[in-house]
Amino acid sequence: MSFELPQEVEETRKRARDFALREFTNELIEHFDETEEYPNEIRKKVFDAGFITIENPWNMLVTMEEFCRVDPGIGLSTLASVFGSEILLLYGTDEQKEKYLYPTLKGEKISAVAVTEPGAGSDVAGISSRIEKTEKGWMLNGHKMFITNGTVADHYYLLARSAPPPSKEKRHHGLTLAIVERRWNGVNPVKLKGKLGMRATDTAEITFENVAVPNENIVGEEGKGFYIIMTFFNISRVYVAAQSVGTAQGILDLLLEYLAEKPASFREMEYVQFALAEISALIEAARNITYKAATKVFSFNPDPALTSMAKYYAAEIANQVANTAFKIVGIEASGSKLEKLYRDAKITEIWEGTSEIEKLVISRMILKKIQEVK
Amino acid sequence: MIEQFAKEELENVAQKIEKEGISKDIRKRLAELGLLAATLPQSENGSGIDRRSFSLVLMTIAKYSASVAYFTYLQNTLVNEILSKAQKRKEEIIKIASGESTGTLVHDLNLNFPQEVYIKGYELYGSNSFVILPDADLHLVLARSESPSYLIMANPVKIEKKKPLGFRAISFGVASYKQTIEEDRIILKDADSLLKSHFFDTSDQIAAIALGMSESAVEKAIEYSKERKAFESYLYEFQPISAVLTDMKGRIEEMKKALMLSEVVQDRILLKLNALELSRLASRVALQIHGGYGYLEDLGVERYYRDSMFLTMLSSNYIKDIKTVSKEIISPDAFKI
Repeated sequence: MSFELPQEVEETRKRARDFALREFTNELIEHFDETEEYPNEIRKKVFDAGFITIENPWNMLVTMEEFCRVDPGIGLSTLASVFGSEILLLYGTDEQKEKYLYPTLKGEKISAVAVTEPGAGSDVAGISSRIEKTEKGWMLNGHKMFITNGTVADHYYLLARSAPPPSKEKRHHGLTLAIVERRWNGVNPVKLKGKLGMRATDTAEITFENVAVPNENIVGEEGKGFYIIMTFFNISRVYVAAQSVGTAQGILDLLLEYLAEKPASFREMEYVQFALAEISALIEAARNITYKAATKVFSFNPDPALTSMAKYYAAEIANQVANTAFKIVGIEASGSKLEKLYRDAKITEIWEGTSEIEKLVISRMILKKIQEVK
Repeated sequence: MIEQFAKEELENVAQKIEKEGISKDIRKRLAELGLLAATLPQSENGSGIDRRSFSLVLMTIAKYSASVAYFTYLQNTLVNEILSKAQKRKEEIIKIASGESTGTLVHDLNLNFPQEVYIKGYELYGSNSFVILPDADLHLVLARSESPSYLIMANPVKIEKKKPLGFRAISFGVASYKQTIEEDRIILKDADSLLKSHFFDTSDQIAAIALGMSESAVEKAIEYSKERKAFESYLYEFQPISAVLTDMKGRIEEMKKALMLSEVVQDRILLKLNALELSRLASRVALQIHGGYGYLEDLGVERYYRDSMFLTMLSSNYIKDIKTVSKEIISPDAFKI
């Protein structure tokens, strides 16, 4: 058994680290944090440098980690410009791939996933947007919330209800996934500003009013959209775990920088040393569980419980590490990158399934095992 | 009366205060209520409020606007009380107590290492990068020299404002000094030890602000849990959510009792540390329960998350605090290695 990643992946990691240190300058980090603009020029550079390769997910994973280590806002914005592409890779028709996926993977288009609604965040099956059959195709009406890339994406992978649920227990039935273009009539995205952190990411509220969706834009089987989204979450949650690991590692980097500038007597305090040891151990554990979950997902043998454990645990650690670092650095963290990472870290416990949802997934899977034993 | 003031005059404009700062009108109202020199005796133009009552005042105001509560603490406790202890400068106390002018305390006591503000002879020079309210009219500056440290009334030659993590209604940034001081501007010698003991002694007031913030965050989360549904049930109906909110409520109530009982300085420091930790936890819980909505500034929930950490940074240096208490309650040799 080896815990080493292939050399090619390690080389990508190094390249990603060098790229982020060079391109995500402090001025740019502050600029995007202040203005909440989308870092489109950096996104293009990320493409040109060849970091976005969903066919080689390990490279993407370590790039996510290294980018977020330097700045989670810019890092995630650029890599998530192909958000949801795995959906088409796994379930799309050749025509859909030709029209939407390949241009996205070339950096010519930006994609987004539109699932969350004002009244349904964690409760995916509770969404109320409707997509109904018409003579010529489908008609979409609904309201989506907190959509990453919402105002910059060219198209959304959108989940809507196409049929009423057959029963209370089967609320997840009757949901259909469709590709919806942002520039179509009736699509109105509005940028949400004033986020606590991750302010370089574009987040939007989108309304859909009598939007005509052609038949060829339905992804997978009608009514089976929930399963497609859950499959996708199994993939995307691993990347959020990597985002958390990168953020936590970035906090440790900053703490070490801080300590390096202080007299040795400060570093020699056992209180400080213990905190460093705890932080390092937690990050290493989060990284290992993330890689283990990724190994399963990337070999087409996903373990949803393990993925949820990785997402939940790594997010928890990113926030815990931020708190511990603040305890040592104190007021000197004010206005620093450490402060920004503290704000950025919180989102990892919320998006792509809150920590509470991850715990439910984990416990349900574990309880299933108990039933199997009985 | 304070509850009524905070509810009627702060609650609805709390977000506006964060964006636009603490207006002269609010300062005037705080002055009319006697809060800017609340704990000073009436003979010194104060209101003569006892320390526990003042803690309750801070806790009440913090429920509606943590920035205003901290501002009140800064004016009353860190400026006017120190001016009063120096037994000088009645005219400055009057100005600050009336809300006519503002003051700040420029110090490095919560830092791991001293800032570079020095006095040599009567020459004051250097800067401090972590000043709350650097645009205050009056700066009480802790300046170090080869032997004692001094507290000096000064005016900065330059200030540079930075966007703070929390308490955004109050400015924050760098203040630089370069001036010749007249002797009567030196208000304390050996200021370091007096300020330290004043800081520690008034730790319960920071605890009070932290508790007010915690209470408000948790109440907001409870309110939201009764409005928001997921999986066709209200959030409060889910066991983990009810449990964590009940636990938070219980801990806040217990700490409020402790606030009224803290007699000695060690208790106050520990209370401060625990209340600050609770406020960070409560704000994290509140934000988590609000989900994505909590992450946006519109609901005012993310503000608790920033403010609770910023209050911690401003008011506490964990290592120094715990060291002080350890030496007192365990042994003078504690926390040595």
